[in-house]
Formats: sequence, structure tokens, C-alpha cells
Amino acid sequence: MTIAHVKTWPRMTGRDEFRFLADLVLKRSSADQTVVNLYDQHTGTTRFASSRIIQNVDTRRGTLTVTVAFGSHRGSASTTDFSAGSVHDALARAERIARVSPEDPEHLPPPDPQVFPTLQTSRPETAAAGPPRRLEYANEAIGQCRIENLEAAGIVSSSVASVGVAASNGLFAQEERTEARFSLTVQAEDATGWSAAAHRSIDHLKIQDRTLTAINKAKRSRDVQELAPGRYRVILEPAAVAGLWSWMLWTLDAKSYQKGTSPFADQLGRQILDERLTLQNVPGHPDLLGTGFTHEGLPSEDALWIEKGVLKQLVYDRFTAKQQRIKRIPTLEAPCLSASGSTAFKTQELIKQCERAILVTNFWYIRTVNPTDLTLTGMTRDGTFLVEDGQITSAVRNFRFHESPLRVFKHVDACTEPAEAVTSETGKMLVPAVILRDFHFSSVTRF
Amino acid sequence: MMLSQWDEMAELALKRVEESGAEYGDIRLMQSTSQTISGEDRRIASVRDVVDSGFGVRVLYHGGWGFAASSILSIEEVPRVADLAIEIAKGSASLASERARLVDEPIHRDRVVTANRIDPFTVPLDQKTMLLQEVMEYVQRQPEVVRSHASLWARRDKKLFVSTEGTRLEFDLVAVQGEFTATARHDGRFASRTFTTPHLRTGYELIESANFMAEAPRIASQAAEKVKAPAVRPGTYDLVLDPEHLSLTMHESCGHPSELDRALGYEANYAGTSFLTPEKRGSFHYGSSQVNLVADNTEPETLAATGYDDDGVACQKWDIVREGVFVGYCTNREVASKIGEARSRGSNRADSWGSVPIVRIANIGLEPGQASLEDLLADVKRGVYIEGHGSYSIDQRRYNFQFGGDAFWLIENGKRTHMVRDVIYHGITPEFWNSCDGVADRRHRRRYGFITCGKGQPGQSGWMTHAAPHARFRRVAVIKG
Repeated sequence: MTIAHVKTWPRMTGRDEFRFLADLVLKRSSADQTVVNLYDQHTGTTRFASSRIIQNVDTRRGTLTVTVAFGSHRGSASTTDFSAGSVHDALARAERIARVSPEDPEHLPPPDPQVFPTLQTSRPETAAAGPPRRLEYANEAIGQCRIENLEAAGIVSSSVASVGVAASNGLFAQEERTEARFSLTVQAEDATGWSAAAHRSIDHLKIQDRTLTAINKAKRSRDVQELAPGRYRVILEPAAVAGLWSWMLWTLDAKSYQKGTSPFADQLGRQILDERLTLQNVPGHPDLLGTGFTHEGLPSEDALWIEKGVLKQLVYDRFTAKQQRIKRIPTLEAPCLSASGSTAFKTQELIKQCERAILVTNFWYIRTVNPTDLTLTGMTRDGTFLVEDGQITSAVRNFRFHESPLRVFKHVDACTEPAEAVTSETGKMLVPAVILRDFHFSSVTRF
Repeated sequence: MMLSQWDEMAELALKRVEESGAEYGDIRLMQSTSQTISGEDRRIASVRDVVDSGFGVRVLYHGGWGFAASSILSIEEVPRVADLAIEIAKGSASLASERARLVDEPIHRDRVVTANRIDPFTVPLDQKTMLLQEVMEYVQRQPEVVRSHASLWARRDKKLFVSTEGTRLEFDLVAVQGEFTATARHDGRFASRTFTTPHLRTGYELIESANFMAEAPRIASQAAEKVKAPAVRPGTYDLVLDPEHLSLTMHESCGHPSELDRALGYEANYAGTSFLTPEKRGSFHYGSSQVNLVADNTEPETLAATGYDDDGVACQKWDIVREGVFVGYCTNREVASKIGEARSRGSNRADSWGSVPIVRIANIGLEPGQASLEDLLADVKRGVYIEGHGSYSIDQRRYNFQFGGDAFWLIENGKRTHMVRDVIYHGITPEFWNSCDGVADRRHRRRYGFITCGKGQPGQSGWMTHAAPHARFRRVAVIKG
């Protein structure tokens, strides 16, 4: 690393600065209720492909959003300019909108002031990391691939954000959040292998381990055979599990449930999945990206969402929660899926249990096919293998799946302890690798 | 006032870039204003007015790229951002195994303004919210309709692009769109039907001419008919696809594979690569001889027709597929040289001041043929007619795709007979386009587009328009979704 030291960016908007900005709005506002949201982020990404840097960027963007209400007439305006004149202009725009907006029968005043959990959402090593650190990590991954005569494509990113919410009723919350990400696709001619990580601390990205994982998958993917589409026993690695579960969690909307347009209709309090599966929200978990509060100013909550396969919670907007007399709205920003009973330690142990199965590293381009039963489609990607007699015997051409997680997770044959999982299409979760039966692969692609 | 300050900032930034010894630099200063009005279940759920301003400096130093950006749009911020971009570029250069090189482009000095009759930001807000409430109220009168959504969107981008080569471009671009959806429930199922205007660079006249209230009865009744319709029987069908539906099929199966950066591996870790590799150019039979796919970033009102891209390259028109043969890529000044082209196609765009420009799909459209829609339908014994967008998914090299749609009608012996539901078709891209045996004529041509095309890390949203008439595809595999 020879890059010169780069000057640090202007200080992020801290607690006192946010209070000052919020006061600029709250003291001038003529509305019945006023809410100010802050999102001030400094983020950088070093991107590489064909084992060279193709993009190296660093962006600072601060956004202040003002939402006001006159009665139940509401308006919202935001600005990226934090000068007093622009902040006042955002307030004026929000007020103008609110005055001519129709009444919103679902409008509620901001939540009452409350105590928020103090979580370690920011790590100084990530906040301090700049282009040199990202370049160093990128170079490490590229270098390991070069040794193997393989091509590397991926990213190293780090960000720090100051997030806040303040309201005219005294509600106030502010915290700093950091996040670092690494993802790598290793190309061995036509074959690919992948690995990824996300963490509050850039020190926890495990660049070397992740790079070796992606290299091994790419090398193992060289000799590929085509299998016919059909129903297969599958071993889904944590990233693949996270891909399917993300879509389940995104459709837990309480309003859709209430209106009968949810795949979970009438399932609250009922057994919907394998009785060994439990989903919790654990904002304080050191390996998850928990936050102290939501955008609306509600505290994050430890919450049980699915207990032994029984659906316990829905995702409530505040109006629907009030209608349903939900006193504390559960949050789901730090999901952890676990299984009771005997579990394996690693995916490798699941492989040893299988006479014949397809091992899936990751899914890609997952979309809803049928919202009524949550049938999804998507492709396997970057490491799909045939397992026979307890070991990987070859790579297989990628499959398209056509399947509902609500059906296949009704019975889980075996699983591991929860592990960190993140994909390019999902947030971070802790989920196990699992063995599922009769997983439907509907077609095969050319590679 | 704003422009003179922006020019001062540009001059200061580019002076520092030039003094650093960098071979190239540019700066984009922008102020984007957007208004989004969203309705849900008869109520106006939100009205958001966003002003997003800032600037980004891009530097090419000894073949290594650097980019830094800030929302602090002040002269005092310029030296720090410019110097950071230079430092980052030097870091990239220190690891460069191959130097990035830009193909030549003439110097341009120009101003581009979106022509519009009614500035969308001058239309009274209550007029807009009333329209959305009326249309939601109307569709929910249909007994089976249990939910409704409606929205209007408008954006204005004021931008100044200046490069160290002497190009200086001013932009004042406007875009508009509106839509509404009815969701019906029946027998434990639910289904939606949507009416949408295209996203176009024009004024509020687009919304007025769309006449939401005239479309509302059709959308409401078709939502009810769709949810009660029989499920499609899986099998092999001929498909007749409407222009709105085709815009997504073209986008995914032709647009993305024609991005040269993908074909060269730049997106291998995220959006993916492309089966249209450079050696296939000029010989690969992507489709049947009826298939002519043309990139046209010069057609007025279309999203990618911005006069110039974010490399400062003039917008152009060129062939992607001519009589079925793959012949051209979407490129920028960096990747064009890698396939021996002397000039960029001008398809390098960033989604904001805070993003670095990357190769994006152009306004790729299917050229009209000779048939009428009735001709296309008449020659189908057993088929499905599909309108609008539904489920979509495609592999990372763009071979294996699967699409749904918004509404489906069975075609029997040359006639649309009745609606069916849950239609999903899938295939392999070149096999599918080689099965195209009929394209409707210019009278049937419509334009639809996207502003949420995801690509890049960090992710960016690309904007482009895809025009097409109806087209027919033979013997396509259909399954029940």
C-alpha cells in the first residue's frame, strides 16, 4: 500500500448538530406536528473486476427531511443542503404541501418521547477506514486469486452514517451507524465461486477466509454436468436460505393481512413452518446490523416472530397497530433464524448426511411468481453442486427454481447453527444452512 | 446565479485535476427536484418533495479512476473533494495492471432542455391528489376490488457537466409518470391490474392525455375478471405480446446483454455478465430475420435522449440486432476501445451527482414490421395474448428467463376468447427471439420505460425507454405461476 494518507471528511452531523438543525425547523414550524429526520452518510466503495480496480468512489450525502401535519393534512420535503436558508425552505415546502393535501384518515401524531436502547451500532475502525483500507482489502483478494491464476471481481465498501429523528412533541433520537461490506466473485474460465460479508466492523470481514471460500467454489465448478429439472433434495447454504426468507419477511405486512391480500392470510397464531424453526429479532447481536430506533422514532425491540413454526407477529404500520391494539410494534431489522434440537455445526456436516442432493451456494434474481401462495422464482448462482454419498461429486448447471418457501420450510430435514448471511439482494441475517426435500427446479440454463 | 457559481466551482475543481498530472477529469454539479404523490386504498398516503443537490468529481490518473462527491455544494468544499478524487485515482493507478483509456470525442458546448407544454411542478397539488383519489374511488366501486393504489411522479434535473477537455454542457431535464392499480379478491385468491403511463421526458400533458378516469372502468373490471379467470393449463403456446409487456422482455433479454461492460466482466460480482460476448458480434443469430433491435438515444421524449451522456458524448442511434444478427453494444468512452471502436455510443450515465457513470442500456426498441395486430392473432390456433408487466427473472448471463404479465387472454383459432390467470412463460433468450415470426406495424408502436433498472456497486437506478409494436413468438413453454 503506497497511497498517501487522505484527509478525513468533514465531521458527520453529531447529536448536538442534529439537535441544532432540528431546532431550526421545530422553532419555526407553524404546524400542529413536525418531525425531522436526518440521514447523513459518508460511504466509499472500491470495485474490482478482471483482477483490477475499475471503480473507486467516495460520497458524502446528508439528507434532512421535514414532515409536518396540520390536523391530519400532511406534507413532507427534504433537502441535502444543511444551510439555515435551505432547511427553512424545506420546512416551508412541507407546510405548503400539507396545507393543500387532503386529510389522511390514517395520520397519527409522532410517537411519544421514549428511551431507546443503546446499541453498538458504530465501530470506530469502520468510521476511520478510507480509500487506503478498502484498496488494501481489494488488493488482498485480487492477490490471492492471482496466485491461483483466477480472476477476481468484487467490492470492498465502508460507510458511516448519522441517523436521527426529532419531533415537536420532544421525541429525539440520534445514533451513528457504520457498515462494511466485502463480496467477491472468482472466475475460473466459465466457472464462478462467490462469497460475501457485511459487518459493523471492517475488521470482521474475514477477507482471506472469504476469498479462499470463493476460490474453492470456482475451482470446484470447473467440471460441470447438466441434470434434468425436477424435484430434488437440496442443501441450501445460509445465503440461499436468506434469499428465500427475505421474501417471506417482506410479505408479513399487517395491512395486507387485514385486507386479505397476504400469503399469510388467517395464519397468525398458527403453525406455518417446521416446528423446530424459530425467528427472532435480535438488535443487540454483535454480528447483525441492529439499530436503536426506526425511521419513525420507535425503539427497536427484541421480538419473537416465529416460535417453533408458529407465526407470532406481523409487520405493523402505526395506524394498523393502533387499530389492532398492538401496544409495542415489533421490529425486524436484525433477524436470526434458529432451529431447536440437534443441529450440525457446518454445511460440510450436512453434505455428509446426504446420499444425493443439490448443494446451492446462492440464489439470484428472486421474484414473486404468485403472491397468493408466495411462489417465488430465481436462479442458483456461483456454486451449484451435486452431492452423492456424502460428498460433492461435480458441479451442475444452474437451475431455475419455482417454489414457495411457505411450502418447503414446512419440513426441514436437518440444519446447522445460524451463520452470517448476506447477498447482493438481501439485508444481513443469521440463518442456518438447511436440508430440504422435494425442492422444485423448473428449468436449467446454459452454464 | 446558480450557474455562475457552479462554473466557478467547476473551474476550481478542474484546475486542481489538471495540476495533479491526471490525463482526464470532469465534474457534474446537479440539483434534482422530485415530487412523488402516492395513494393507497382511497387515501393520499404521502406527498414527498425532494431536493437533492451536490457535485461529483471524476479523475483518470495514469489509467486509474477516482471519484469523490459531496452534497455540500459550496466553493469551499471543492478543493477537498477534487483532491480526494485525485488521491483515490492515484491509489487505483498504483494497482492498475491495465490502464483505462478513453476514446476520443469532439468537444461540445451546448444546453439541453426538455420540451414540455405543462411544467409538472406548476400544476396545483390539489389537482393531482384529486385525480388520484377519484381514480381510486372509482376502481374500488367494483365489488371484487378490495385495494387500490395510485401515484404521480415528476422530476427535474438541473445539471452542469464540465470536463478538462473543454466540454461544457448544461441540462434542464424533466420527466413525468403516473399509474394506478386495482386489486381484486375472489375465492381466497387476489390479483391486480395496473394502468400506467410510460415514464417520458415531457410535461404534465402526458398525465392529462392519459385520461385516468376513462381507463378506470376497464382496469377495475379486468381486475375482477382476472381473479375469477381459470388458471392457464401448462403447455406450449404461441404468444402475442403487447408493447408494454415487450418493453420488459427486451430490457432484460436484449438490453442488459448488450451492455459491453457486462460482456467484459465489469459486473461479474453483481448484475452479471453477458452471453453476447465480443466474438459473437456480427455473426451470432440472436433472433429471427424479423427481429431488428435499434438503440436510439436521439428520439425526443425518451428517457435516455438527454442530448449527451455523462461522459459528455453526444447521443446517437445504432443497431443492436439487425435482421436477427447481433451487431452492436452499448458502450462508454472507456470500454469502446476494448472492441476496437473509435467512438463511444454515448451510453454512460450516473443516477445522481453522487454516483459515478457506468454503461447503461440505451433506448433499445423493436423496429416495426408489416403486420397488424389482427394479422398476428389470426394465425394463432392456441396461444396467449399478454399485456403489461408481471413477475420477471433472468440468469446472470441473460440466457434463462421467466416472465409473467399483468393480464392474459387465451387465443383460440385466431381470436382472443377469455382471460386466464397465472401465466408464466420461460425460455432461453436466443431461442425465444428466433421464434419471433411476426412484428406489428408502426401504428402499433408504443413507448414504455424504466427508472429503476438496478446495476452497479454501489447500486444505481438506470433510466431508458423501450419502444415496440406487438410481436408474435411461436411454441413457447408456459407454466402455471
